[in-house]
Amino acid sequence: MASSSFDNVAVRLKNFAKSFGSKVVHTNVTFDVKRGECLGLLGGSGAGKSVILRSLVGLEKPDAGEIFVEGQEISKLAEIELLEIRKKVAYVFQNGALFDSMSVFDNLAYALREHTDLSEDVIRERVLKGLEEFGLKGNESLYPASLSGGMQKRVGLARSIILQPKVVLYDEPTAGLDPYNTRRICDMILRLKERGATAIFVTHDMPAAFLVCDRIAVLKNGVIHAIGTRDEIEKQDPWVSRFIEGEEY
Amino acid sequence: MRSTLESMSIALGQRVTVVAEDLGGAWLLLMAVFRDLWRRPSYPRLIVEQIYHIGVKSSGLVLITAAFTGMVMALQFGLGLEKFGGKLYVPKIVSLSIVREIGPVFCSLMLAARVGAGIASEIASMVVTQQIDAIRVLGTSPIKRIVIPRFVGCLISLPILCTMGDIVGIAGAMLVGVTELGLDPSFFYNKVVTTVTLLDLLTGLGKSVFFAFSIALTACYYGLNVKGGTRGVGQTTTKAVVVASMSILISDFFLTKLFFVLFEKG
Repeated sequence: MASSSFDNVAVRLKNFAKSFGSKVVHTNVTFDVKRGECLGLLGGSGAGKSVILRSLVGLEKPDAGEIFVEGQEISKLAEIELLEIRKKVAYVFQNGALFDSMSVFDNLAYALREHTDLSEDVIRERVLKGLEEFGLKGNESLYPASLSGGMQKRVGLARSIILQPKVVLYDEPTAGLDPYNTRRICDMILRLKERGATAIFVTHDMPAAFLVCDRIAVLKNGVIHAIGTRDEIEKQDPWVSRFIEGEEY
Repeated sequence: MRSTLESMSIALGQRVTVVAEDLGGAWLLLMAVFRDLWRRPSYPRLIVEQIYHIGVKSSGLVLITAAFTGMVMALQFGLGLEKFGGKLYVPKIVSLSIVREIGPVFCSLMLAARVGAGIASEIASMVVTQQIDAIRVLGTSPIKRIVIPRFVGCLISLPILCTMGDIVGIAGAMLVGVTELGLDPSFFYNKVVTTVTLLDLLTGLGKSVFFAFSIALTACYYGLNVKGGTRGVGQTTTKAVVVASMSILISDFFLTKLFFVLFEKG
């Protein structure tokens, strides 16, 4: 019964609620993300998009509701149990969140050294391949402080997916980037999508969202206000069209 | 008048709540450290790195402090006791004071200032820049990678630094005793050796172990619970040093009392 209901679902949020003190962020959020699908999560600033993303890797605990990742309910797991889940779910931070005491190479090698028995030679090969794929070849000995914002985001993305996760969570990966770097990040996300990774893409960047996402969910007043393809959500409520066009908040 | 009383009560209540939250949070962190200490993987390389940063890099500061503290103590006691013909008691008084109290307390205060501030600000910066979150989402534990190496580093380094500080402090006192007070070096040495017992050394070391816990726990707790972005990093650092220093001084009294009751009552 349980397995059939999750056959094609990689991520499920059910009646998710979250508050911070007296500030209610989510009252009842429910949505599914199918395997291999990229769901865009849109909403105004403070709508709680990142809170949902953080909850999907256990960085936040919901006040109520259930969170399923690859069929496993994670909202009540202890930190030690979440470590296993996190090997399957990658989180791409808005600013890269690179370890500033480590070189680019060591940042990418981190997860491989922690979670695999690969030799240093194989790790080196995989890291260099990853860097090449993300246009970062030759930067392996640099430290994060000497990288541009766009490079830091690409290193963060490369680090997140080095273990080939099944689900990738993007927290505003194109924020603050010029159009060229935005395009590069979007191309990388599309390449990962082609490989079958499920994704949730939190952004304020509408063109990027429509470029990489199969469906869009719009958060408003603590619930999913509209969900579907661009045409579908714009038909559901004229406010969504105005929000997308930046005419209404 | 009533409103003043009410606002004072509210402020006091909020203060008590914050202290209770901090104590509870620090206790939970300590429990997490003990729980994860025995779990694999372990990071011996990170522990060695921390011993270097905490112990080796603090040795100059601690030894200079110890040497001059011993010298000042010898001078003060020597000049004070000389009036009563008690100059000969200087080696005994100074060595016991250094080994039992001044050595561990001064050494720990120096470490709280240097290492406590460093640990708190480093961890707080990692929280603010989401590096701690990154450690977690990459399937690893910040307790194991960040907190435990600093805990173990403090626990190993501080007793060693204290022992070295005791030796250097007494040597400093001896230098002043010989040059300023005119005491015979062999007399000074013999008095120290016959006065200081193994129990004195152990009580001093016992205190330093407790103080090491206090410094590491305070710095890691405040660092991990930083609030308010980069501004919060500075406030957290200050708070960690103040709380660690206060806890060293307050707990020193109770530890002294405890050791006295346990070992010297009879």
